[in-house]
Amino acid sequence: MTDAPPGIDLNADIKLDFHTVSLTESPEAEAEIRSLLHDNGLDLDEQVDTFVVCRENGRIVGCAGLDRDVVKDVAVASSLRGTAVSLRLGSVVVKLAAVHGHHDLFLYCRPDSVQWFRGWAFHPLVEVPGVITLMENNPLNLPKYIEKLSRERRPGTTIGGIVMNANPFTLGHRFLAESAAKDCDWLHVFVVKEEAAQFSYSDRFRLVTEGLADIGNVTVHHGSKYIISRATFPGYFLKDKATVEHCFCGIDLLMLREHIAPALGINRRYVGSEPLDATTNSYNAGMKHWLSETPSAAAPIETIVIERLTVDGSPVSASKVRALLARGDLGGVEKLVPPPTLAFLKQQFTRAHDDQQAGR
Amino acid sequence: MDILKNAIAGTLESSDVLVKVSPSQDGTLTLHIQSEVIKQFGKQIRATVMQTLEALSVSAATVVVSDKGALDCVLRARVQAAVLRAADATDLDWNVL
Amino acid sequence: MKLRRSMLFVPGDAAGMVSTSFVFKPDTIMFDLEDAVSPREKDSARLLVYQALRHPAYRDIETAVRINELNTEYGPKDLEMAVRGGADIVRLPKTETAADIELLDRHITRIERECGRPIGQTRVMAAIESASGVVNAVSITRASPRMIAVALAGFDYLVDMQSERSGGSEPELFYARAAVLHAARAAGIDAYDVAYGDVNDMDGFLREVMIAKNLGFNGKSLIHPRQIKPLHKAYAPSREELAFARRVIEAAEKAKHEGLGVTSLDGKMVDRPVIAHAELVIRRAEAA
Repeated sequence: MTDAPPGIDLNADIKLDFHTVSLTESPEAEAEIRSLLHDNGLDLDEQVDTFVVCRENGRIVGCAGLDRDVVKDVAVASSLRGTAVSLRLGSVVVKLAAVHGHHDLFLYCRPDSVQWFRGWAFHPLVEVPGVITLMENNPLNLPKYIEKLSRERRPGTTIGGIVMNANPFTLGHRFLAESAAKDCDWLHVFVVKEEAAQFSYSDRFRLVTEGLADIGNVTVHHGSKYIISRATFPGYFLKDKATVEHCFCGIDLLMLREHIAPALGINRRYVGSEPLDATTNSYNAGMKHWLSETPSAAAPIETIVIERLTVDGSPVSASKVRALLARGDLGGVEKLVPPPTLAFLKQQFTRAHDDQQAGR
Repeated sequence: MDILKNAIAGTLESSDVLVKVSPSQDGTLTLHIQSEVIKQFGKQIRATVMQTLEALSVSAATVVVSDKGALDCVLRARVQAAVLRAADATDLDWNVL
Repeated sequence: MKLRRSMLFVPGDAAGMVSTSFVFKPDTIMFDLEDAVSPREKDSARLLVYQALRHPAYRDIETAVRINELNTEYGPKDLEMAVRGGADIVRLPKTETAADIELLDRHITRIERECGRPIGQTRVMAAIESASGVVNAVSITRASPRMIAVALAGFDYLVDMQSERSGGSEPELFYARAAVLHAARAAGIDAYDVAYGDVNDMDGFLREVMIAKNLGFNGKSLIHPRQIKPLHKAYAPSREELAFARRVIEAAEKAKHEGLGVTSLDGKMVDRPVIAHAELVIRRAEAA
């Protein structure tokens, strides 16, 4: 028999097809994928529509879900585990993501699969022990980000942190930041970067900066894919938030505790009380657990909940502002937002009104 | 050669290497190598990559190399492919390859 | 006399295979930049094959490159690479007419001149994959002094003929095989039979090998290393054939030595064709 060099399996069946499927377009494929995932102890993540699948004689024997720059729901039939199929699957996923402009990817897997995915050139970032691990395939990104952040470090014993979507920036946000800043030597405010809100990131960021400009001990930071992003906290961006039963925020919070907070010395996280939004409420509840109660090599971060600012007896919220704006109630909006936000919203409203009049 | 955009070449399969090239943010050349045999071959991999980048006149870029036991010639080819893709280069100067 | 029994196809983008295929020792390695490589990866595959061509491991083995057709955006670049990289043979897919070969020849000459490679050193293999190619085979095989072999590509040919493989002795390939073979012999070049796609069916493969060998094909296109040894074995002469061949050579030498023109052996005339065949038999035996 011919001597084969290592890595070349002369008996390997080369009849494997790799291609992409969309679950909404292929219900049969979806059923097969669910079954394969189930065999691997995984549930189909309802947010993922695109899958790379590997078929052997028409049957799906490997799959990998891709949601923009996040890979999840990866499974390979037991008969093919440990073969080169997995690596080919990984290569196809990487190439597919690249075609859509995503060159640096995240990946979710069970902690016991981390070794396998190291073979895909991913390395672990954050782990919820025994449950889930977030990995990334560019080892330079997080360190670079942390290094950049570290340059913004300020001296002090109480360093606070706030993460806000600010969609748009309201008096409620202002109140929260003001209260926190009074309480701390320095306050770091992060604006959620994902373009999933009514108002664009650049507008939101600008309004936050303008809205907090007069507070002396605040730094407003750009958000990133490491802070409440589609990668770290996909649940946050589900369209139908009301139906979120279990909001898994451990990864996002551990990322903050283990990587981001240490860069800036943050030891307190401030949040507004959340009587209305189920997702945010659940997230806030998780905060205490992940940021201070869970044992970790990283120092605990104290969670401080500040009662929401009320105006005319009800808590100020961005969703309320959006609702008033939709109704054209600029008078109502004015009571809830600072002047820069009001000016911006008036401009938006006028533009939208003009568009409607012109039948656009 | 100017690196204009992100590009990838190669695969994760055994005997191959996945090379990611992206524009430098600070005008420098950053190279990161991942390999199971980093201890034995890390230096050699680095040397080959740097040589290849130099031959293509690349002085500013971020390069991440995930090696799966590729021979030098494979590494060279994948780095070249990633660089040419990242530079949107269509004409090849065979003398430098 | 270069034996061309086995031509192993190696997908140009497969790093593992490109790095190591030489260990399987086929008579010729064919790096494929055409059908085996997706359009998105053609640029990367081209660079990989270039490195392989210049690697010491491939110095002692005959290398061929299947370029993309010259009227694609890839073909001309593939050709530049193959000639400059030192490939022994360029395989032109879908050769339909002698003009296709003439055009290729002119381009190769230009590139050889530009890169300083001896003019004429790069050889050419025509792949015939259609009815037109088959009927033009005679002029194709004579279209250039670079021509060294012609290969029949079964799958594409049968599609063009609106036919299919039927297994067994396959009459649907008979005319094409015969035409290509005759064209090759008339031009004095080698001929390759079609590739056998089912790598798990060794019996079917060997049946087809014997058909090709008996018709007179020099060898076959192979798509998997595991097909190499069985193919070489099938082409190896039997002990009796080898013994007879040795006696033929001996007799011929003796006759030459004694100044005799032609001699005979076991009642058979030992003239030039018989001697040539005996040399081929011995060569095949040595290489098996």
